[in-house]
Amino acid sequence: MLRAFVRAFRTPDLRNKLLFTIFILTIFRLGSVIPAPGIDNAAIKQCLQGVQAGDSAGLYSLINLFSGGALLQLAVFALGIMPYITASIILNLLTVVIPRLETLKKEGQAGQAKITQYTRYLTVALAVLQSTSIIAMARTGQLFQNACVPSSYMPQQDPLTLITMVFVMTGGTCIIMWFGELITERGVGNGMSLLIFTQIVAMFPSSMMRIWEEQGPWVFAIIVVAGLILMAGVVFIEQAQRRIPVQYAKRMVGRRMYGGSSTYIPLKVNQAGVIPVIFASSLLYLPQLVIGLLGNDTNNSVVNFLSTYFNPNGTHPVYMVTFFLLIVGFAFFYVAITFNPAEVADNMKKYGGFIPGIRPGRPTAEYLDYVLTRLTTPGALYLGVIALLPMLALGASGAAGNFPFGGTSILIMVGVGLDTVKQIESHLQQRNYEGFLR
Amino acid sequence: MAESVRRVLGRPGSVDLRPYVKLLKPIEDREAELGGLSDTELTAKAAELGDAELPYERDDLVELCAVGREAARRALGERPFDVQLVGVMALLDGRIAQMATGEGKTLAGALAAAGFALRGRRVHVISVNDYLARRDAEWMRPLYDLLGVTVGWIGQEADAKERRAAYAAEVTYASVSELGFDVLRDRLATDPADLVVPDPGVALIDEADSVLVDEARVPLVLAGAAEAVESDVAMAELVRGLRPGRHYEVDDEGRNVHLTDTGIEAVEEALGGVDLYSADDTSILPRVNLALHAHALFQRDVHYVVRDGEVKLINESRGRIALLQRWPDGLQAAVEAKEGVAASDSGEVLDSITVQALLLRYPVRCGMTGTAMAVAEQLREFYELEVAVIEPNKPCVRVDEPDRLYATQEEKEDALVAEVAEVHATGRPILIGTQDVAESERIARRLAAEGLTCSVLNAKNDAEEAPVIAEAGAYGAITVSTQMAGRGTDIRLGGSDTSDRDRVVETGGLYVMGYGRYPSSRLDDQLRGRAGRQGDPGSSRFFVSVEDELVAANAPETRGYDVTAEGEITDPSWRDVVNHAQRVAEGRLMELHRNTWRYNKLIDLQRGVVLEHRSEVLHADQGDRQLAVDCPERHAELVEEVGAEEVARAARLITLYHLDQGWVDHLAFLADLREGIHLRFLGRRNPLDEFNAEAAPAFKGFLDDARARAAETFNEAPVVDGRIDVAQAGVKRPSITWTYMVQEHPFSTEFENAAGRIRSALGRG
Repeated sequence: MLRAFVRAFRTPDLRNKLLFTIFILTIFRLGSVIPAPGIDNAAIKQCLQGVQAGDSAGLYSLINLFSGGALLQLAVFALGIMPYITASIILNLLTVVIPRLETLKKEGQAGQAKITQYTRYLTVALAVLQSTSIIAMARTGQLFQNACVPSSYMPQQDPLTLITMVFVMTGGTCIIMWFGELITERGVGNGMSLLIFTQIVAMFPSSMMRIWEEQGPWVFAIIVVAGLILMAGVVFIEQAQRRIPVQYAKRMVGRRMYGGSSTYIPLKVNQAGVIPVIFASSLLYLPQLVIGLLGNDTNNSVVNFLSTYFNPNGTHPVYMVTFFLLIVGFAFFYVAITFNPAEVADNMKKYGGFIPGIRPGRPTAEYLDYVLTRLTTPGALYLGVIALLPMLALGASGAAGNFPFGGTSILIMVGVGLDTVKQIESHLQQRNYEGFLR
Repeated sequence: MAESVRRVLGRPGSVDLRPYVKLLKPIEDREAELGGLSDTELTAKAAELGDAELPYERDDLVELCAVGREAARRALGERPFDVQLVGVMALLDGRIAQMATGEGKTLAGALAAAGFALRGRRVHVISVNDYLARRDAEWMRPLYDLLGVTVGWIGQEADAKERRAAYAAEVTYASVSELGFDVLRDRLATDPADLVVPDPGVALIDEADSVLVDEARVPLVLAGAAEAVESDVAMAELVRGLRPGRHYEVDDEGRNVHLTDTGIEAVEEALGGVDLYSADDTSILPRVNLALHAHALFQRDVHYVVRDGEVKLINESRGRIALLQRWPDGLQAAVEAKEGVAASDSGEVLDSITVQALLLRYPVRCGMTGTAMAVAEQLREFYELEVAVIEPNKPCVRVDEPDRLYATQEEKEDALVAEVAEVHATGRPILIGTQDVAESERIARRLAAEGLTCSVLNAKNDAEEAPVIAEAGAYGAITVSTQMAGRGTDIRLGGSDTSDRDRVVETGGLYVMGYGRYPSSRLDDQLRGRAGRQGDPGSSRFFVSVEDELVAANAPETRGYDVTAEGEITDPSWRDVVNHAQRVAEGRLMELHRNTWRYNKLIDLQRGVVLEHRSEVLHADQGDRQLAVDCPERHAELVEEVGAEEVARAARLITLYHLDQGWVDHLAFLADLREGIHLRFLGRRNPLDEFNAEAAPAFKGFLDDARARAAETFNEAPVVDGRIDVAQAGVKRPSITWTYMVQEHPFSTEFENAAGRIRSALGRG
């Protein structure tokens, strides 16, 4: 393992790729802590500390997580890459609806390049929208739940300064988008994923520090150990797969028999990845949005109901059970739409492949479906448990809002980490070296 | 100034020609002086240019072009135009020169080749086919002679001795496949004296887009006869009784066929109630599939012809018969069974090479073509080549009429025939480009039935190519051709002697009609380019139907159009549908190219390791030394018995055999791995990474294993009549080699696209 890393750094162009990636990520982090013009850095730090002691940013905490805390610092890169992710989700959904986009998609690389271009435009539009709303919220103090006076951290509030801030944040998002593409192109790993990864990891030291300060060394040690065990478990399950053997009977095998061992469909236990968790948490922010719309009126029964049962920082059983059920549901849903056994069976049939002992077409589809269901059940339960574990632990220890090993973070970290390591490995293998994952 | 602005704004990716254009004046100034020299003095002038190293300095470049121009004027009776000289300079700089048809690419290429050769580089002029290689070499020979450069060419039938002689020349013309297979065969040589291809110097590629892009999609595969197989006539008989649609289905692209449930039952019943898909006995299904593949997907006269009791393949991209080419993996035998001809030997893949790997061997690469800009991106990505766009000498006045679109094939054919009759009445020469041999013959029969006599040019009569093309521009000529006429052929108006030129010009010049668009716009442009050479008048028009394979397979919609009484579709948005379908096809082919490239990277690396070792065994006595260490007693004993030299010979043969055999086995493993690797995508793995992850460890210990097996054989080899009989110890070489027609499966990409769309829709980073 260590030798492979040394070898990676000895291979000149791979070393350059790695250094390039680290270089870009460094600039990215730098931009995440440099405040936008018109922001008083010292004041906002103080303000943040006050806020974090109580509830964190509620509605925006997922975005804040993805921006590595840059959002609440009103940094140059406050928006992170969320606008880009949102834009690509929207465009991908639109390809299904708009025929022109669909035809473009089919034209291969040239068409894909055009769609990417549209995604970039949409990102800029979304960035303008989001930065405007964030700055508006910061100006009224709403961003920090009115915990401190806006004029302390935003001394100047004339239109020109505000417009400059919008420009800077939008520009920041464009630069981040460019960074992501640069890493994908000239570095290692998927740029966008790595940027998210960096931001999540960036939150770690401060969270850990706080635990140390507030809970003392013993709790700190327990949390670190628990976190490591959790991570090892996630790595283990993320790698787990069921291999269904497939044979291709199109050609004469001749004297030798190959296949069997090398041709198979690998079905992952957690086929859905982190997406069900993200979906479920996004959905559970909706009640917060409703509360925000209705105003924090304690007499309103709806608001009362929602804030009792669906407080994201609370550990109310109803909230947890809903969260769990949503994750399990989404996991099944996701697997159902990404892996269509009938389509796979059809494709195999078309190209002369079959599962030994099972007839092509419908019987194959039924068999795949059977295996998939049996595999997804534990996979979905695992996802739910991983996502809930921190909350359960918090309920017991009372370390409110500080636990850095949130289910989403861990799943993303492990997922991106594994992907990146695999890519480095693949670079090594292309040079005919064996990798370090086996 | 305007040029600078244009360069900044438009046409990115093309090379700035202004430095070359500046030299044209000095070149012209040298003309008078050089014109006064005798032939011998001119040759001496050319030889003087060889005193320095590449690249050419400014003054030498001027001199080279001026001498070349004078030599061409004397030897060929053609004074190269300025644009041709610009092309020569671009080629000498290692660019791809885009020059329109009839601009004299061949001459420009020859001058550049001579330029490289004078400075001591060995030049290979690589073309798409043997006909062009031979024609160009013979045509340019007087020019080369005058410049003091030797020239040779390689034909399909040339034997090793002739090939060695041709490669010994300073400039060698060869088709890309001949060159590739020579390189592949050299890798099997067991004696340094058997080698044919010298070390690579300069690759000058004619019709560069065709060679570098179209031909590069699938690797060149060399196979050797392994064993005789029995032809499976019974199975061929069985599948003949199956009905399309009911018993089997062919996919849209006509690449794959599979049995339906009814078909499976019918076959199982006919075979006496076997289970085709049982886990225990998997031997029957491949036989059924092969027979079905041969029956349903290969059509006589489209994919192959039967000549002299043998099945001969037609190269689809060139429309010519390919000698010594076969289908792999038992397909050849299945087709032979289908046609009822005697079965030939079956083979195994000995080695393969991609066009990329073949050409990247050359330290200097350059080329010319009529259509390069459309693939400029690929040329840069795969070959590190830049395109230089060279303006035509005389502006092209050809009129490219918009496509005529019809609902059905029949209406399209009717419209084409009607148009031919109408235009033919004016005496205007017509060239009709078709997609394949069968189509060209059908059209020719139809025209003949209408009383329109035409000449046909296709794979079946390629010997008549030159005379047919020479007369294609004559008054009242009708020529039906496959893609053969698309490249490298120069159709002069007014017949071969251009005596009738004025009369033909008056009718409007050559009229090019395309019977259906080709899978890439470059091929369309190549066909169109047959008309309008050197400022000639001419026009072109394509006839397309919604039922055309290209449209049917790639268009999102094939219904819902309005037609006129003649069945024509005049809605412009439907013309866009055709263009879109072509772009989809192009995108697919490009992906195919990229996949070939990506999946072969690691294999090339591993091959490099084997070849390096092989060369040490072949040229040095590496094998002998190793065996002396591995089996010292046996080695000493044999040296005693038959002498050191004989032992070294045997050691070389044995070591090479095991190296080659090991590589054959490794390749077979990789081919098998590649076939199902796309399934890994279902587990969220990158198939390419997975391929590399399994291919790298599989190669581990390759050389040690080969060495161990060599030692084993060495211990067993008996001595017969004072010689070590290696054959008796199992060392044998393939008696005959041929090339395989392979198609890489694009399905992994399709699969990835479908799943990738859904995945990214849900936004995983």
